[in-house]
Amino acid sequence: MSPMKLCVPGDKLCSTEDCIPGTGVYLRHGYIYSSLAGYVLRKNEGEELPVISVVRETETQLLPDVGAIVTCKVTSINPRFAKVHILYVGSTPLKDRFRGTIRKEDVRATEKDKVETYKSFRPGDIVLAKVISLGDVQSNYLLTTAENELGVVVAHSEAGAQMVPISWCEMQCPRTHAKEFRKVARVQPEYLQA
Amino acid sequence: MATVQVSEAEKVYILHGIRDDLRVDGRSCEDYRHMEIETDVVSNTDGSAKVTLGHTVVLVGIKAEIGKPRPMVPDEGYLEFFVDCSANATPEFEGRGGEELGTELSNTLYKVFNNKRSLDMKSLCISPGEHCWLLYVDVLLLQCDGNLYDAISIAVKAALFNTKIPRVHISADDEGGKEIELSDDPYDCVRINVENVPCIVTLCKVGHRHVVDATLQEKACSVASLIISVTHKGTVTCVRKVGGGSLDPESIFEMTEAGKRVGKALHAPLMKLLQQEESLGKKRQKVGFLG
Amino acid sequence: MAGLELLSDQGYRLDGRKATELRKVQARMGVFSQADGSAYIEQGNTKALAVVYGPHEVRGSRSRTLHDRAVINCQYSMATFSTAERKRRPHGDRKSAEMSLHLKQTFEAAVMTQLYPRSQIDIYVKILQSDGGNYSVCVNAATLAVIDAGIPMRDYVCACTVGFVDETPLADLCYAEEGGGGSSLALALLPRGGQIALLQMDAMTACKGVSKVLDEVVRQHLQDVSVLTRE
Repeated sequence: MSPMKLCVPGDKLCSTEDCIPGTGVYLRHGYIYSSLAGYVLRKNEGEELPVISVVRETETQLLPDVGAIVTCKVTSINPRFAKVHILYVGSTPLKDRFRGTIRKEDVRATEKDKVETYKSFRPGDIVLAKVISLGDVQSNYLLTTAENELGVVVAHSEAGAQMVPISWCEMQCPRTHAKEFRKVARVQPEYLQA
Repeated sequence: MATVQVSEAEKVYILHGIRDDLRVDGRSCEDYRHMEIETDVVSNTDGSAKVTLGHTVVLVGIKAEIGKPRPMVPDEGYLEFFVDCSANATPEFEGRGGEELGTELSNTLYKVFNNKRSLDMKSLCISPGEHCWLLYVDVLLLQCDGNLYDAISIAVKAALFNTKIPRVHISADDEGGKEIELSDDPYDCVRINVENVPCIVTLCKVGHRHVVDATLQEKACSVASLIISVTHKGTVTCVRKVGGGSLDPESIFEMTEAGKRVGKALHAPLMKLLQQEESLGKKRQKVGFLG
Repeated sequence: MAGLELLSDQGYRLDGRKATELRKVQARMGVFSQADGSAYIEQGNTKALAVVYGPHEVRGSRSRTLHDRAVINCQYSMATFSTAERKRRPHGDRKSAEMSLHLKQTFEAAVMTQLYPRSQIDIYVKILQSDGGNYSVCVNAATLAVIDAGIPMRDYVCACTVGFVDETPLADLCYAEEGGGGSSLALALLPRGGQIALLQMDAMTACKGVSKVLDEVVRQHLQDVSVLTRE
């Protein structure tokens, strides 16, 4: 591997015949150019050609992308959809919050017509969801929780205590033992590191 | 960032820390954050200063212009304040977004500085009733990290210290009118006596105690704050309550006492620093925003 | 030229520079910690600060959202004490509005906006001290701030003003030269591709002159800013 090389936007890095473009670079007329100021990184990933990308010391701004798993907080609900604020993309916290919408049809995979948003989310809940679309002119990011791993992860009961999940659709308050309906996520062990 | 949101857990943490006289950044309740002052940073002005307090950055430029004295006080000059909350500080200030805060700040500054006890207004007079010096004090807010009042007042004091007003010569012309002549020599100038210029100390009531130089997080936990302007002798010249909450008279008394103590202690090192910088003269390496 | 002689017979300008010589340029990136990107630049006595926020969700009316790329939002303002005569308002006048628009167009050409659909990137530039070439200094400051923010660009933008006196192009005009009455040309370009992002000419220059002037600026600035950004 060659020593770390610095580059600035617009620097010609190499021809497309030598490398595959990665992140922080762009293609023009068969050549790969840098689009960031940072270090040039060549990585062999089993392919014939190494992947070339430009990396920075600090993490660049992330935006929610289609397919990304996001952590969000429910801000309001109505019979048709729940409005949320996206707080994390994967494990990276966002500097600014983005607004998203979980429509009634996207709450769960089965019996979509019987979903009631009131029985799935409450404002203040922390929800794991997946981005399905960046939305159109009228709407924000569209999210879905129609997978077993997705749904409510943290919720507080009416008494104010943090609830414990007891099934995929119910959570219980440890203080009053009252049960409340939620679309509960089966949190995967890799997300439980904190 | 003009405001931040603080979660309940953070609030409790900050409150408990302050109760034990230990704040999140390790300071005690009456400590200031690291402060940097540099004067004479903008050459287009008659006096300027840049102050960095924590992450708060303010730039003050003073321009002296000849104007007409106010009819009520014909033998005094006066100061005009303008605070520009620029979009550089936070996108919320874009367009007209920063105007409200700017007006609030400039009105307070006007009350604190524009009186006979803070500045010798008579020294700004050129010829009574006709001409006087008008000092435009323009404050530029470049980054907000709490405690704007203190940072601005220190910057204003430093800029006033740095201000050099050209000396004027008044001569009568043939028709008996007066002619004002400005001195061309840049070293032939009048300085302003800043001895009695007060500094503002903001005390934030957090829980049952009050803190000096609150960060944005601490400010978010406080109900109300008291701004106190104190001179080097410890004389309180202006007290104002800001913020939505209410304070009981006893804590106002306590806070005023603390403000006096802190304010008095603030002046001596500030003046020492300014004089030290002044004595370096041209040898001083100007850092500005490059450092 | 009335009154002032902008170029002496020996080929020196008012401030002792040669015709194609730039003023001293000093810059620093990452001046502020709260913004996503920031930069400060001094070109002679003109000083500017630029900060970049974003990409973030589109603020204000949602109709401004572009669903295939990012919205670039610029605001140019001048500190009230930046000019010899005090300004009454830092922004909101016609000249600032025009400058903001130019900045926006320039950076739309350079930033890879298609990577951030439905979001907004704010670029705010503040002139702290003005001594000619405000526009070009702003562009240079903003470029450094965008780079600091880590927002991908096709190329960095650099800008310069050029005046024209007696068939000789003068690079990087100062205030006295701008007011000297000659023609002036502001140019922002993407030097690697040799693309021009902004071209604005005030007063008339002979056609022949333009290419000469352009060539001058391109060559000058290519070296200059590339040195800078490598710091």
